[in-house]
Amino acid sequence: MTRILCIKILFLFLFAAIIIRLFYWQVVRADFLESQADSQHFTNTKIDASRGNILFSDGSILASSNPVFSLYGLPKIIKQDQKIKIAYLLAKLFSDDLGEADPLAKDLIKRLSQDLYWVLLKKDISVEQKKQIEDLNLDGIGFEQGTSRFYPEGSSSAHFLGFVNSDGKGNFGLEGAYDGELKGVPGLIRNEQDARGLPILIGNFLTNKAQNGKDLRLYIDRSVQFIVEKSLKAGIEKYGAKAGSVVVMDPKSGGILAMASFPNYDPLKYFDYPRQYYKNPVVADQYEPGSIFKVLVMAAALNEDLVKSDTKCDICSGPVSVGGFEIRTWDNKYRLETTMKEVIIHSDNTGMVFTARKLGLDKFYTYLQNFGFGGQTNVDLQDESSPEIRSKKDWREIDLATASFGQGIAVTPIQMVSAVSAVASGGNLMEPHIIKDIKDEKGSFEIKPKIVRQVIKDSTAQQIKEMMVAAVEEGEAKFFKLKGFRVAGKTGTAQIPVAGHYDPTKTIASFVGFAPADNPKFVMLVRFDEPSASIFGAETAAPTFFEIAKQLLLYYNIVPTE
Amino acid sequence: MTIIKKFDTTEPQRGFPKKYIGLIAICLFVLMLVEVWANNNVVTYGEKLERLSALAKTLSLENQVLENQIARQESISNVASKSAELGFSPPESIQYIRQ
Repeated sequence: MTRILCIKILFLFLFAAIIIRLFYWQVVRADFLESQADSQHFTNTKIDASRGNILFSDGSILASSNPVFSLYGLPKIIKQDQKIKIAYLLAKLFSDDLGEADPLAKDLIKRLSQDLYWVLLKKDISVEQKKQIEDLNLDGIGFEQGTSRFYPEGSSSAHFLGFVNSDGKGNFGLEGAYDGELKGVPGLIRNEQDARGLPILIGNFLTNKAQNGKDLRLYIDRSVQFIVEKSLKAGIEKYGAKAGSVVVMDPKSGGILAMASFPNYDPLKYFDYPRQYYKNPVVADQYEPGSIFKVLVMAAALNEDLVKSDTKCDICSGPVSVGGFEIRTWDNKYRLETTMKEVIIHSDNTGMVFTARKLGLDKFYTYLQNFGFGGQTNVDLQDESSPEIRSKKDWREIDLATASFGQGIAVTPIQMVSAVSAVASGGNLMEPHIIKDIKDEKGSFEIKPKIVRQVIKDSTAQQIKEMMVAAVEEGEAKFFKLKGFRVAGKTGTAQIPVAGHYDPTKTIASFVGFAPADNPKFVMLVRFDEPSASIFGAETAAPTFFEIAKQLLLYYNIVPTE
Repeated sequence: MTIIKKFDTTEPQRGFPKKYIGLIAICLFVLMLVEVWANNNVVTYGEKLERLSALAKTLSLENQVLENQIARQESISNVASKSAELGFSPPESIQYIRQ
């Protein structure tokens, strides 16, 4: 009896133990075990969204994505005697000459001899190299796919393109400003898998489609960009400049047709260059514009009917004294009763002091703001700077006088070309844009040209245009003018402020203009920093401007009118 | 005299006819067989699907590589260097002819 009772109690205990264990698994540990079962049953596959392309105005590729692979090895899988063989086979494939192959093979052997399950052997392997390695049928070797940026035109346009870092994040330029649009949204596939890891078609299947990045189509014309880059590079070398920039803009739409600066960097090897190279000088650099600013001050005075083209300057017979300072002309030549047109032709500083006095600080200040200075142009690029105009109450008489010929006031090249573009387009200040439209799988979104405001009357624009044409025909840069074409332009030579004073040997030489003057196809600014061949814009920036203009007129099929 | 004709009402059939029950049972059985057959077949398609997915991935990758090769070949810098090799050079002096 006792034995039967004992067995009964034993069974009762066993039964209770099973119940408790089942309760533990099915209630207490239910969530954990369910998730473990799910992880064995289900597989989550991330679908990478491909980064959008950046296209020239004709749809050809400026930047796209390129598949690359990382080669890895599994040291615990590869047999010891195979490691040396694999290392030498790979080294031979990666190096062009035998001298390089030996140290590379030794490095690979070292990596494969580590006490690790997974080691990286080489990054950025191309599709061709991957195929070659696969043909070798090596054990314990595998690939991981990634993407890198691809630039078919090489490193050109780096400043407005920006770059994509190793984490896939866009920095600077368009890559930085439009990173959200370009990168897209990755997708996910979750499906049930069998014991061999193959998907079960009748099992649960969830999909979240990847949204690829949007494509950006630019106003940049690849032929114009090529001409500009080539001529700018040649100009920098010829005139021994430390740096240089060119920006070409369509005055009717505000679209930027070309933008180049040197020295630049390779967006694929951005890490090999100093950080100061990353910023786009056309939108980020602040400088004193010098005499190219005169056309804007003169336009303001003409627009207010304070002066006319033939108004005579009654203070231009010698140096002008302003607030204890003496204002001289650049060549120290003085013309008695010079007209406003001649002031622009000869780039006369004293004539500009006369104009600024007529205009007065209030109107001068208003026109500065209306031409877009003191604020951002809203160009669609990262890192646009906007030099501040000091408060009106802080302006002294000498500040107004020097600002009238572009000294003591800071601008950016993009501000300057936009302001001159207002003269070319009959007085309308256009918002500069580099992107024409943004395309995705659903369609495209066009960025329409935007008129910011009318700064000057059309009649004023015509008058100042004639002055600029005369400046090209009769001014310091007349030796470089294009035969048969009416080109409007103005030279500029600005001294660079160094430790509270201006260094007379260091200048920023520039030329701004548009062509053809009567129906402008483009507005262009050429700027050289510290040219050593000559300090003057008329002898450095002007020839480069006309060299580019000559090629652009030919490219646009524009025939001479005179 | 009005003659009222009397009709005998037929008594409605109670329940579902046995022949329909049999038919439904046969249909269900056939459907069951089809499902078992389909499931057996579809389950084995996982490998095929995996192969097709891998092929689609490879083709899209090769497509991207080819697109990039075309872009490189037709890049303006490449066209400029190729045309220079062939003896083309930028025009030095341009003659315009008036009609």
